[in-house]
Amino acid sequence: MIVPMSHILIFSSILFLMGLACVLARRNLIMILIGVEIMLNAVGLTLVGASALWHQVDGQIFVIFLMAMTSAEVSISLAMVVYLQRRKGSINANAFDEMRG
Amino acid sequence: MDSILFYILAIAALAATLLCITRSNPVHAVIYLVNALFSLALIFYLLGAPLVAAWEVIIYAGAIMVLFLFIIMMLELAPAEERPGPGWRRWGPVLVLSLVLLGCTILLIAGDPGAAQGVTSYYASPRVFGYALFKKYALAVEVVSFQLLFAAVGAFYVGRHRPKRGTGKEEQ
Amino acid sequence: MKSLLFLIPLLPLLCGGINALWGRRLPRRLAESLAVGGVAASFGLTLLLWPLSQGEGTRVTFFTWLHSGTLHVAFDMLFDRLAAPMTLMVTGVSTLIHLYAVGYMEEDEDYARFFSLLNLFVFAMLTITLADNLLLLFLGWEGVGFCSYALIGFWYREEENALAGRKAFLVTRAADVFLGIAILWCFRLFGTLSIDAVNAGAASLPQGTVTLLALCLLAGACGKSAQFPFMSWLPDAMAGPTPVSALIHAATMVTAGVYLLCRLFPLVSLSPVAMAAIAGVGAFTAFYAATCALGQTEIKRVLAYSTMSQVGYMFLAVGAGTVAGAMFHLFVHAFFKALLFMGAGCVIHLLDDERNIFHMGGLARRAPAVFWPFLAGALCLAGAPLTGGFFSKEGILMASFADRTPYYVFLWGLGLFTALLTALYTFRLVYLVFAGEPRQARPQGHLPSLMIWTMFPLAAAALVGGLLNLPPAWGGGEVLRHLLGSLAGAAAELTPTLEWGLTGLAILFFLIGWLFARWQFLPAPKERPTPVRTFFLRGWQADTVIDLAMVQPFRTLAAFFWKGTDEGMIDGLVDGAGLSAQGVGGLLRRMTTGRLSTYVAAFAWGLAAMLGWFLLWTLIK
Repeated sequence: MIVPMSHILIFSSILFLMGLACVLARRNLIMILIGVEIMLNAVGLTLVGASALWHQVDGQIFVIFLMAMTSAEVSISLAMVVYLQRRKGSINANAFDEMRG
Repeated sequence: MDSILFYILAIAALAATLLCITRSNPVHAVIYLVNALFSLALIFYLLGAPLVAAWEVIIYAGAIMVLFLFIIMMLELAPAEERPGPGWRRWGPVLVLSLVLLGCTILLIAGDPGAAQGVTSYYASPRVFGYALFKKYALAVEVVSFQLLFAAVGAFYVGRHRPKRGTGKEEQ
Repeated sequence: MKSLLFLIPLLPLLCGGINALWGRRLPRRLAESLAVGGVAASFGLTLLLWPLSQGEGTRVTFFTWLHSGTLHVAFDMLFDRLAAPMTLMVTGVSTLIHLYAVGYMEEDEDYARFFSLLNLFVFAMLTITLADNLLLLFLGWEGVGFCSYALIGFWYREEENALAGRKAFLVTRAADVFLGIAILWCFRLFGTLSIDAVNAGAASLPQGTVTLLALCLLAGACGKSAQFPFMSWLPDAMAGPTPVSALIHAATMVTAGVYLLCRLFPLVSLSPVAMAAIAGVGAFTAFYAATCALGQTEIKRVLAYSTMSQVGYMFLAVGAGTVAGAMFHLFVHAFFKALLFMGAGCVIHLLDDERNIFHMGGLARRAPAVFWPFLAGALCLAGAPLTGGFFSKEGILMASFADRTPYYVFLWGLGLFTALLTALYTFRLVYLVFAGEPRQARPQGHLPSLMIWTMFPLAAAALVGGLLNLPPAWGGGEVLRHLLGSLAGAAAELTPTLEWGLTGLAILFFLIGWLFARWQFLPAPKERPTPVRTFFLRGWQADTVIDLAMVQPFRTLAAFFWKGTDEGMIDGLVDGAGLSAQGVGGLLRRMTTGRLSTYVAAFAWGLAAMLGWFLLWTLIK
């Protein structure tokens, strides 16, 4: 036995919460996206841990899919960041408040 | 042995992530994140998923993070793009929230008897892996490939070059 | 034969309807002939059907009007010994006045409206006269009220005329509330609205009920008859055309109140309190109006107050218990007052719309055809011996004295003093208008012949009207009293010496009044406003009092309900609800900052809430 499942879960949740903290606290759009990446990775870790716990390969397969989707998502979001930077000249999340009121 | 390795790698990953989220320079943040991803890949290997570990490095650290770096460089941001506010004002509520959530999660996990089970490394042979991927989840593979196509087209469209007119505010 | 009775009120209605709908398209002469013809035909019919009224009278039902539960009201008429002479008087005087009006309104364009309203008025008045149940009477009552309003405000383009019409309507309406209460109460007490049933059943009611009922009827009658306290509309009603004043405010509508009390005399006479009240109201109003007439400067207003005063005498008669006396005075008064108004109309026409008597004078020489009938009417009004007015007024005063109680003797004294005042103001009017040198600078106007010769029949009727009810002391047969038979009320019982003494006193007072007026007014004084004169001119400031007592509080109450309740409370509530919704919305709007960070933070806190909830659940379990 390498480690109890609960440890993996706690480790993974700490990672997840750090990612969440990054999303909540940072105003730079890039940093927000990085926070999202961290959260996705934490989930990946949980999945691999579960796959090791149950001795099924499905968890690892799921991580594959996760990574594929993450790359797709990141490419589009970064393209949008580029567009927003061109539009407003800033990538501060507080600058985009035209939906206010 | 494996346990110790696990804990070391875990601490490394946590430290790297912590440093990542507190950097003001995004490039530094990305580099620290790459570091964290490496640690995670090693944990994956430890848990008996070498393929996943390899892909973590190749795709995540290699492609996605590099993409991040490209974009950051392209945007030519001033080094301190974002004004870091007074520490506690920015991080205070978030810390509170995170600690609350952490507390809840730990209590939930600790209360679950099934979570105390031990984890052993599970290595799936390529054959088993391939079976699962292309036979059981074949449809999902197809869908994901569609999605990559959409992403490519979308990224291309959103990021296309628009002719500048006037001063710099193109569409308001 | 019997069903012809319905044509008496319906002919004027028909002609009025035709005039109302198509009068403008008909040739003028045709429209006028229709109007006059309708009323004249009614007069002829009344004469023709006179025998039907003898004995117990004739009762006819036209159709059932209302039938609901125990309420059964039909369009039925009672042509009895009280209704017949009244109908005859109404139709006769109306015919003459319609003819007069044709001449008077020669130059007016709105003849169709005028004649249709006049005919409609006659219909409503005849409904009052001939009605056999209280609801039909009330219909006619309101009808005359409406026609009066429309005719007073006939020249509505001048605002004061419209205001006068409105004032008349509102004041009489206020009094009609009491009549309405009385009618409803009658229905409650008797289960039927038939006048005979009410009169018959009255004997079985407790005294208090009868008194209150009679007082309600008195209040209703006071409104139409312009008695105190509902009298303030009559002087202002002179804003209408003179034929209207002659017909409505001299002969017919103002006597409707007296007629009502006479009709319900069996009910009313059962309560001494009510009788005393009627007599008191009548005598006081007679006195009040006579003093006011002394102070008036406009010719028609003098006559209006005079009408008020004379109707007061009629009320005094009813209160003293003699219906015959009241009706006698009613008829004679109708003749001479209509005559006086017609004469006034001629004077106004002649002097090109001048109404101030202090600007008139010397008309006796200029227009003798107007002067002599007018003088005849004036003598009747003042109670000159041997004229109709003398006998009728004497009858009333003697009836009041005959009661011997201090109260009625006091009223007799008041009536006697008022007779003096009557003579005074009448001769004041005559001397100022007709005698002396002409004081006006206006040119002479044109006088249509129709306006002149219609006065003569009335003059004759007024002068010889005394023959209607000549007391036995003078050798007469008291025709009217015997005509009315059992409906006549009590007979005055006085010794011959007392009778002659009272008569002599009356003649003496007449002479004093006449000579005093001659001394004061024959040399045509200038108009000098003194406080006393102004007080009388303004009708003892009645208008001001009513304004303060009724109009201002009503206005304040209305303003309170308008500004305070409607705008303040109701609008405030509604607006307040809207504003508070807006306020809350405004507060909530601050949550949508449009910033990504706010929304993500909302996610996170939501997640925290959910996890917390699960945790709580787990802990509780």
